[in-house]
Amino acid sequence: MNLYLQYLTALAPEVIVVATALLVLVMDLVLVREKPFAQRVGLTGAIACMGCGLAMVWVELVPCSIHSAMLSVSPLTQWVKVPLLLLTIFAAVLSWNERFTRHAGEYFALLLLAAAGLMLLVSSESLLMIFVALELLSTSLYALAAFDKSGVASSEAALKYFLFGGMSAAFTLFGISLIYGIAGDIQLDVIATRLRGHPVEPVFYAALVMTLVGFAFKLAAAPFHLWAPDVYEGAPTPVASFIASGSKVAAFFVLARILLSAFPGARGTASLGGHLPGWAPLLMVLAVLSMVAGNVAAIVQTNVKRLLAYSAIAHAGYALLALLADRRHALSALLFYTITYAFTVLGAFAVVGVVEESGRKASLADFAGLSRRAPLLSFCMLVFMLSLAGIPPLSGFFGKFYVFTAAADTAPKLSLLWLVVLAVAASAVSLYYYLQVLKQIYAVAPAPASAWPRPALSARVAIVLLAAIVIVLGCVPDLLLGKISELLKSNSF
Amino acid sequence: MDPSKSQLMQYVPVLMLAVVAVLFSAGTLAASSLLGKRARRSAVKDTAYECGMLPVGEGNTRLSIKFYLVAMLFILFDIEVVFLYPWAVNFKGMIREQPGLIFGSMAGFMVVLFIGYIYALKKGAFDWKQ
Repeated sequence: MNLYLQYLTALAPEVIVVATALLVLVMDLVLVREKPFAQRVGLTGAIACMGCGLAMVWVELVPCSIHSAMLSVSPLTQWVKVPLLLLTIFAAVLSWNERFTRHAGEYFALLLLAAAGLMLLVSSESLLMIFVALELLSTSLYALAAFDKSGVASSEAALKYFLFGGMSAAFTLFGISLIYGIAGDIQLDVIATRLRGHPVEPVFYAALVMTLVGFAFKLAAAPFHLWAPDVYEGAPTPVASFIASGSKVAAFFVLARILLSAFPGARGTASLGGHLPGWAPLLMVLAVLSMVAGNVAAIVQTNVKRLLAYSAIAHAGYALLALLADRRHALSALLFYTITYAFTVLGAFAVVGVVEESGRKASLADFAGLSRRAPLLSFCMLVFMLSLAGIPPLSGFFGKFYVFTAAADTAPKLSLLWLVVLAVAASAVSLYYYLQVLKQIYAVAPAPASAWPRPALSARVAIVLLAAIVIVLGCVPDLLLGKISELLKSNSF
Repeated sequence: MDPSKSQLMQYVPVLMLAVVAVLFSAGTLAASSLLGKRARRSAVKDTAYECGMLPVGEGNTRLSIKFYLVAMLFILFDIEVVFLYPWAVNFKGMIREQPGLIFGSMAGFMVVLFIGYIYALKKGAFDWKQ
C-alpha cells in the first residue's frame, strides 16, 4: 500500500493529465454534445488547460523523488515537465479558434495523452518504459496529425509520419534488444555499471546506431528528417506547433539521459584526428548533415511552414552539438537551447496559424504587408524569426552562444572547433531565409483589397506572451539557466 | 592477435550467410530467366491467382467503419481479460498484505476501460441500423 501510494504521488502529474484527458472525452460526449461547436471547443479546451495547470502546480508544490527500476522522479525530471506542460497549454489555447475538426473532445484528449507521453518519457528509467512512453506520444501525434479530415494534406502528413515513425520505432526496439543482449539489463544506471570498460565492439555499435535511429526521427535530424516538412505543412497548425516544440524538448532530454547516464563509457570522439568509436561520432554525423541539409533546403522554401520545418532540422543539428560537449555543460546547454527554441517555434507557428485563420495560405506571399495590418503580430513574428536566427538580445542568441561555447570547450580543448565553425557558418546562412519572411512582412506592399479579420483574443494573448518569454529569456538567461544549473548540481539526472 | 580483428572475425559467418542469401536469390532469378521458356501472355494468364478460381470483384473493397469500432471493442475487452487473469491468480496471495495495491490498481484500470466502453456506446458502436 505504502509503495503504491508513493508511486501514485510521484506520478501524480501524469495521472492528473490522463484523468483530465478522460474527463474531456466523457464531457464532450455526455454533457455538451448538443451545444454549438464554439462552446464545446471552449469548454473542453479550458478543462484541458486547467488539467495541465493543475499538474504544473503539483509539480511545483509537491517535491518528490523516487528511483526505481522503471521510473526515476527527481527534482530535475519534475522540473522539465513544467515547460512541457506550458507548451501543451499554449498548443491547446492556439487550438481554440481552429475549425479543422468537429471532434473537440477527442482532439483535446489526444493532446493531453501526448502530453502524458512527454512527461512519462522524461522520467523513465528503463529502456522499455522509454519505448512505451515514446509510443504513447507518437501514437497520439499520428492521430492528431490526421485530424483535419477534410484536407488531403493532413491525411498524407499523418500517413508519412506514421510510416516513418513506425519504421524508426522498430529500429529503436531492435537496438534496445541488442543493448539488453549485451548488458543484460534495461535499467539505465545498471547498464552503465555493467558496460564499464566494455569495448565498443561491432554489436554494441550496431545497438547504438539502431537506438539512435528512433530518436533522430523524433528530433527530425538528417538523414531521418524526410517526414518533417510534409508533416509540419500538412498537419493542423496547432498540432504542427506541438510536434515541433514539446516532442523535441522531451526527445532531446531523454536522448541525453540515455547517452550520458547509460553509455558514458562508449562516448568515442568526434574530433577530426584520432577517431574513437562510440556515440559521439554518430551524433557528429547527424549534426553535420542536419545543419547543412536543413539550412540549404530552407533557402528555397516558399511555404513558411516548410521553411520552419527545415529550420527545425537545422536547429536539431545545433542542439546535437550540445550533447557532444563536456558532461558538465552538455545538459544545461541542451535544456536551455531546446526549451527556448520550443517557445520560439511555437510562437512562429501561432503567427502562421493566425494568418491562415484570415483565409490565407502559409506561403511567403501571404505574409506580404502584414505589418500594416497587424503591427503587434508582425513585431512578435520579428522577435521569433530573429531569435531563431540567433540575433542578440533574444533568447535564441544566448542559446546558440552557450551551445557553441560549450562545444568549443570540450576536452581536449578546441577539438570540436571545426564543428562549431560549421555551425556558426550554417547559422549565418539561416539568417537569409528568416529575413525573407521578415522582408515580406515589413517591406513588401500588401495585396490590394485583402480582408484582415481581427484575430481571436486568445491567440493574440498567447503570441504576445510567447514573444515576451523569448525576449525576457534572452535578456535575463539566468532566470532559466540558474534554475537548471541548481538542479544539475543536486543530482546528475 | 589484434583484438579488433578477432572481434570482426566473429561476424564472418553472418557475412557468409548474407552472401549466400544474395547469391541464392539472384541465382534462382537468373536461372529461371535463362533456362525458362518464354511463354506467351494472355488475359487469362495475367489474372490474379485465386487457387484456380476465377477472381470476382475488386481486390480492395470498402468496409463499413463499424467494423473498426468492433475491432476497437474487441481489443478493449481482450486486453481486459489478458490483465484480469494474472490479477485473479495473484489476488488471493496479495489481498492480505497489500489490499490497496491489488484492488486499487485493477480498479484504476477498469475505470479507464469503462470510459472506453462508454465512448464506444455513445459513438453508436452497437447501433447497426444507421
